[in-house]
This record gives sequence, structure tokens and C-alpha cells, in this order.
Amino acid sequence: MIEIFLNEWKGFYRNRLMAVVALLFVASLALVTWLGVVQNQKQIESQLKAHRHIRAQWDELETMNPHKAAHFGSYAFKPNTILNSLDEGVNAVTGKVLRLEGHTQHDLVYSEASQSLLVSKFGKLMPSLLFQFVIPLFLIFLAFNTYAKERDSGRLKLLLIQGTSLQKILFSKILSIWIIGVLCLIISILTQVVFNGNAFHADFPLRMILMISSYSLYYLIITTLTVLLSAIFSSASVSLSTTIAIWVLWTIFLPKIVGNAVEKLSPLPTRVEFQKAMDEDRSKGIDGHNPSGERKKELEKEILAKYKVDSLSQLPINFDGIVMQADEEYGNMVWDKHFGKLYQQMQSQKRNYQFSGIINPFASLQNLSMGAAGTDMFHHLDFLKQAEEYRRVFIKTLNDKMAYGGSKTGDWDWKADSEFFKSVKDFEYKPISIKTIFPKYLTDILVLVLWAVVMLTLVNYTSKRISIL
Amino acid sequence: MSALNIFLFEFKHFSRSRDKVLAYMFFVLACIYALYNGFSLYNKQQATISSIEQKKQEDILKIKSWYDEGKKGPEDRPWIDITNPSWALWNAPTYTIKQPSPLLPLGIGQAEQYGFYKKITNWSSTYDNDMVEELANPERLVNGNIDFAFLILFLLPLLWIILTYNINGFEIDSHFNKLIAIQIRNTKSWILARLMFYVLLLWLTVTIFMLVVGVINGSVVSYSKLFSLIFLATTYLLIWALISLVIILKSKGSSFQAFTMISVWLVFCVIIPGALHLYASIQYPPNLMTDYLDTNRKEANEIYELPLDTLAKRIVNLYPELVKTQHGQDSVADELIVNNTVRAINNQMNKKTIEKIEQENEKKNELIKTSYWFNPVSFFQNKWNSITETDYYAYKAYRKNVQKAIDKKMELLVLECWDKRKVDKSTYENYLQLLTK
Repeated sequence: MIEIFLNEWKGFYRNRLMAVVALLFVASLALVTWLGVVQNQKQIESQLKAHRHIRAQWDELETMNPHKAAHFGSYAFKPNTILNSLDEGVNAVTGKVLRLEGHTQHDLVYSEASQSLLVSKFGKLMPSLLFQFVIPLFLIFLAFNTYAKERDSGRLKLLLIQGTSLQKILFSKILSIWIIGVLCLIISILTQVVFNGNAFHADFPLRMILMISSYSLYYLIITTLTVLLSAIFSSASVSLSTTIAIWVLWTIFLPKIVGNAVEKLSPLPTRVEFQKAMDEDRSKGIDGHNPSGERKKELEKEILAKYKVDSLSQLPINFDGIVMQADEEYGNMVWDKHFGKLYQQMQSQKRNYQFSGIINPFASLQNLSMGAAGTDMFHHLDFLKQAEEYRRVFIKTLNDKMAYGGSKTGDWDWKADSEFFKSVKDFEYKPISIKTIFPKYLTDILVLVLWAVVMLTLVNYTSKRISIL
Repeated sequence: MSALNIFLFEFKHFSRSRDKVLAYMFFVLACIYALYNGFSLYNKQQATISSIEQKKQEDILKIKSWYDEGKKGPEDRPWIDITNPSWALWNAPTYTIKQPSPLLPLGIGQAEQYGFYKKITNWSSTYDNDMVEELANPERLVNGNIDFAFLILFLLPLLWIILTYNINGFEIDSHFNKLIAIQIRNTKSWILARLMFYVLLLWLTVTIFMLVVGVINGSVVSYSKLFSLIFLATTYLLIWALISLVIILKSKGSSFQAFTMISVWLVFCVIIPGALHLYASIQYPPNLMTDYLDTNRKEANEIYELPLDTLAKRIVNLYPELVKTQHGQDSVADELIVNNTVRAINNQMNKKTIEKIEQENEKKNELIKTSYWFNPVSFFQNKWNSITETDYYAYKAYRKNVQKAIDKKMELLVLECWDKRKVDKSTYENYLQLLTK
């Protein structure tokens, strides 16, 4: 088996065209990876710069009423992960800037895709594009006549007469081509490590293992399928066209059609419907700026009783701050209810999409690649969750200052000093750990493993059924 | 063998090739699905617009009833006084809507990246949070939609490859190409006639689907635009036919043809646009809009710290005709009037900042446009989106309309407040008319 494997590689080496193409391909892969790193570093720098700029403005606040400061608010910039340079995932289509202020939870806005004409329907030329589109095609072209060539030239019979089994021949050929795909992956990852070495976090090795394993499995599936079809069909061109048709179906067509179908199966509300439902629920709570609500009266009674006084003017605290916070907390409940449902629906869409891996292993690969790079929907939702949690703490700090900082009810001109504003904690996004995200991708991993096992079993089965001599 | 015979023979060959017929039928079904998707988005946008219109009419009726009943606003909000122009205009629901193009079913383009309706308030700007796209699963957005434009620009060439990869290649593989050459004399015209069969087949298929959209949306569709799309699709198809012809003429067999054709597809549809996308992103990284954020936060906050007289002067500088209004002739600035109209200064500041942002975006667009000579697929893609009014510029034009509506509302607000107008029902109705003009 090793001899056949080595012989196969010798064949690649001796084919000058093949050697040139491979060399060019490896060089382009390294170049693309480096450019991806450059692009990502530029984005990370600009996010950090924007973040520091916004925070500096907050730190420079002079005396100000805390509630006015809550409306002055802050911004969270969605950070790029280091592995964004390998697979950009949802980052190109989602917004980058989130406004954080009192009373309102905003949307992430200003996506890159909305800032120019459309360039590429398949995304930037990042390593993921090469890993997902080009390398599999490259493997198909290497594999489609590897068996047919031996059969048509009569070398196959010779090998079998010498005592080698067809099973060994097929598996050696699969292995020799598959390793090329894996080598391409390793080159790209090494380039990534060289140019990004300093910035890696503890999660990096696990994420890399997940990414390399997923792509390796997919390449094994593609290579095995091509060799299998090459063994089944009598003509190399028929096997090639069939494999390419499958590649088109998996890579170009099915992800879009399944994505659409999944969304149609469980459609998200329109923004108008969603906002209307939220407004309705919100209107049932306390309006921080509307002093005549029923709920507010109840809260007033409760606070007066707590401080054992008869009127708001006797309170040692500022009741307006309490009302603002009660309004926030009600708003938070409304947000949790509606956005919770929305995010659950998105996650259920994702789960349904994951099942499409049963007919399309490319879908599983895509999911795992984004998941490992930290650029999938789960990471995106996690950023939104952390930003919202921060917003709540941020606004509560300001409302508490308003309530207990020394002012009295109705004293809207009261101002907190600049030291207080400087003391308010800044937003820092902590990327979700791969261990947390891993269980969500078990389906994809299982599907890829299953595909690989089925493909290898089919090759094994076919090798015993084909009559050569 | 005459060209017609070759043509008819090719029909026989096609109808007897199960895999080719299957691929063709698959494409036809995909076209139907894509049009269904396009119409579905078109109808969804129309339904949303209708619901906005309905809500707007309900709000107007409610406000009018307040005037009829002599109320100044809702009972639980006693500070609202709709006889004051500021509150009357605040309660005059104004929307700027980008109606979906009747050709949207033929190309969704960038429509899913932008909002298409905007409520205009005294605080609005063209980069507000509510200008964002509809709620959508981001991973679905990454994969994109199966729309008709996608099928024409990306799947049609693949179908073309499946249909033509073995023309002449099969004959070379089977070693009877020389026999053909003896029988036909001119192999080039034999190949050309065979290719023309597929050109005609695909052209008819695509054109029929496009005309169907024209018929369904007949009352609103612009036929000149529809024919421009048909022309664009025809040119695109002919370019692919020409590329295939060159490859087939240099053929060494069907595997060589398939490999070369798919490589050309990969280079033109994936690699070149992807490389340019990456380069453009390095040259012009995503704008985090800090200038705009500063204008709306820090600088807006600083405006409110200015003395009343300074603010009044700045407002008069923006609207010189204010000197003739009642408040313009008063010697002391009225705090309420100035505070109610100070937003006009922010609007002006926003416009300046946004102009810079648009210029930055334009630089990136220029870079993309200069690549069209080596990046033809992006050219066809953006040309297509431009005709279906779903490209960046269609939404830029929409943003301009939003800004015009903001300016109109702002001017009315400033003039009416400074003229100390008392608003009654007929003035309110007049406002609504002016704002919807």
C-alpha cells in the first residue's frame, strides 16, 4: 500500500504541469492567507481605535446629570476574532456598531456589505473560500482519472497480478490525493501562525484542531467520492462530469436552497411586526419619562413605605432614578421575551440547516468552519448578549447614581462629577469558549464522520464487486 | 451536413442525454424557485408598506380626532400640545418608502442589506438605526438568496458547461474526430452550429422566464428595463459561448474541456471577484462611522450647551427667512422655540458628515468599477442590480429622498415654530399635505 502511495506521489512529482500548478497553488494559498491576516489586522486596529475614541469621549465627560449621560450613551464595536482571517463567516453581512443607551436596545448597524456595490457573491478570497471551493475542485481533478488511468492503460491488471488487492490500490490512491488537501490546509494554518503568532489565545489550538479535522474529513469525502465514481463509471469524462455536478449541487446550489427553505419553514417576523409586538408589551410597563402610569404609582407607594415617609420630597433619595431603573427592568423583560424568541427561532433555523448535512456534507463543513473561526451565528448572538448585559449594568450604574448619589426627587439639574463617569466600567467582549460552542456542532461533526465512513465503506464494497481480470 | 441538420442532430443528442436533460430540467426548476423567491420578497415588502400606510392613516385619524374634540394630546401625557407646531409636526406621521422595483423578482441584488421604509421625525438622519435591513438569519444572508440574477450569472454558465463540455471532446476521446473532419470538412462551423443549439435553448428559456415576470407585473414593469435585462443576459450567454468555443477548438478531450471550462468559471465567478473584494476591503476597511457617531453624540451634546442667543443665530443662519417671522423680530430668544428647533443645526451637521461618508463609499465603488475590465462578472452583476433597482446606488438615491423629507420637515418645523403658529385641524392637514408632496 505504501509503495502504491509513494508511486502515486512520484507520478505527481514527475508531471511537470502538475508540479507547477501545485507550486503556484501553494504560493497563492500562502499569499491569500497573509492577505486575510492583513485585512483582519486592519479591521481589528480600526475597531480598537474606534473603541478607544468613544471611551475617551466618555472619560472626558465633565459634570453631567446621570440620566443625560444615559442618553449620551456609548457604543460597542463588534470585534473580529483572530481566525476571522481564515473564515469571515457572518461578519461581512452583519453590522459592526451597536449603540448602548437608556430606554432603548438598538440593532447592530453599518455592515460592510451595505457600504459599497456588490463585489463577490461568494465572499472575499479568504482561505475559507479556497478551502471550501478551490481545494475540493483541485482534489476532484487529481482524483477523477486516477483509477481510470490505471484501468485504461492496463497497469491495474498488472498490479493485481503482482498480488496487490484492488481495495489497497483504491485506498492508496485516496490517501495520496487526500494528503495533498491536508497539506494545503497545514500550509495555510502555518502561514496564519507565522503572521498572527502573538495574538493567539488559549482556545486557538482547539479551534484549529476542529477546523483542520472538519476540512480533512470533507476532503476525504470528496476524494473518496471521486475515486469511487471513477471506479464505477467506465468513462473518465462521465465520472468527472458527475463529480462536478455533485460539487456544484453541494457547494453552490444546496446551501442557498436549503437556507431559503429553512427560513420559509420557520419565518422570522418582519421588523414592523416585531417592533409592534415589542411596543405593545413595552407600553404595559412604566414609562420612565411618563410620571402618571399606574405601575409608577404602585412603585411610589412601595418606596414611600420602605423609607417610612409620606411624600416624595421627604425621601432621602431621588425617586426619579428608581423610576428610570424600574422602566429599564421592565424594558429588559420585554427585550428578553421578544429577542429571546427571535434568537431561539434563528437557532432553530440553524439546527434545521445542520440536518441538511445528511444530503450535503458541505453544509456541515461550512458550519464547522465558521464555528471554529468564531464567526458563526452563535458567536454573533453571544456578542449581542454580552453587549446587552453590559448595557444593563451601564444604565443601572447611572440610574443608581441618579437615585442614590445625593440628589432629591425632581432635581433634574443635579450633576454627577467626572470621576464618577470615569469609574463606569468599559465594555469588554470576552469571546465565547470553543468548549461551550462545541456541543452545538456535534450534529455537523457526526454527519461528516458518517459521510466519511459511508464513503469508505462504499469504496471497500465496490473494490470487492468490480471485475477487472 | 448543413448547419440546420447539425442543429437538429444536436437536439436529438440533447434529448437522448439523460444527464443533460436532467441538468436542464434542474435549471428550469431552479428558475421557477428563484422567481417564486423574488416574488415572495416583492410581496413581503409590499405587505409591509401597506401595513405602514394603514398605521399611518390610523395615527392621522387619531390626531385629527383630538383636534375635533378640542384635546391637546393624550390624557396621560399632559405636556403634549398639538396646537404647538412642534408637537403637531411630531404627530404628523411621515414615512419615506422605497417601493420595491417591479423587476425585483428578477434580481434581489443588495435589497436584503438595506431598509426600505423610514419614519421621518425631527431627529431623523439617513444613517439612523431604523435604516437597517429586515430581520434575517445572518448565516442565511452569508449564503445569499437563490434569485434569478444568481441563476443567470453563476448557474447558467455551469449549466452551459454541463451541456457543452463534451462537444468535440467526446469525438476526440472516442478517436472519431478525424472521421467527423472528413465528413464535415469545416469542423469549426460544425462545433459552432452545435453550440448555437444550446445558445438558443438557454436564451429562449431565460427570455421566457423574464417575459413571464413582465406579464405578471405588467401594469408596473418598465419594458425598456426588462429588455435591457434580456439584452444583458443574452450578451452574458454569448460571452460564455465564445469562451467555450475557444476552449473546444483547443480541445484535447472532454476531460480537458470540462477541467478548463470549470476553471474559467471558478476564476471569473469566484476568484477574481473574491480577490477584488479582499483588496477593496484592505484599501477601504469597513467604516465604523465614528464621524457620524461623534456628530450625533458629542457634537450634538455640545450644541445643547451653547447659549440660547448663539443657537438662535445659528438657526437664522441656516434659514435666513426666519428674520421675517414673529420670533425672528423679537429682541429676546424664546427658550422653548429655540429648543424645539435646535435640531435643525444637528441636521445640518449630520448632512455634512454623511456627505463625507458617502464620498468614502464612492471611492470604494470607483475601485470596484475600475476592475470591470478584468472582472466582468461583477460588472454584469452590478449592471443587473442597477436595472432591477437593488444596487447600492438605488439605496443611495433612497437615502437622498429620506434626507429631502427630513429637510422638508425641518424647514416646516423651524418656520412654523418661529412664526408662533397656532395649529388647528386645517393647519395640521396642510402640514400632512406639504410633507407628503
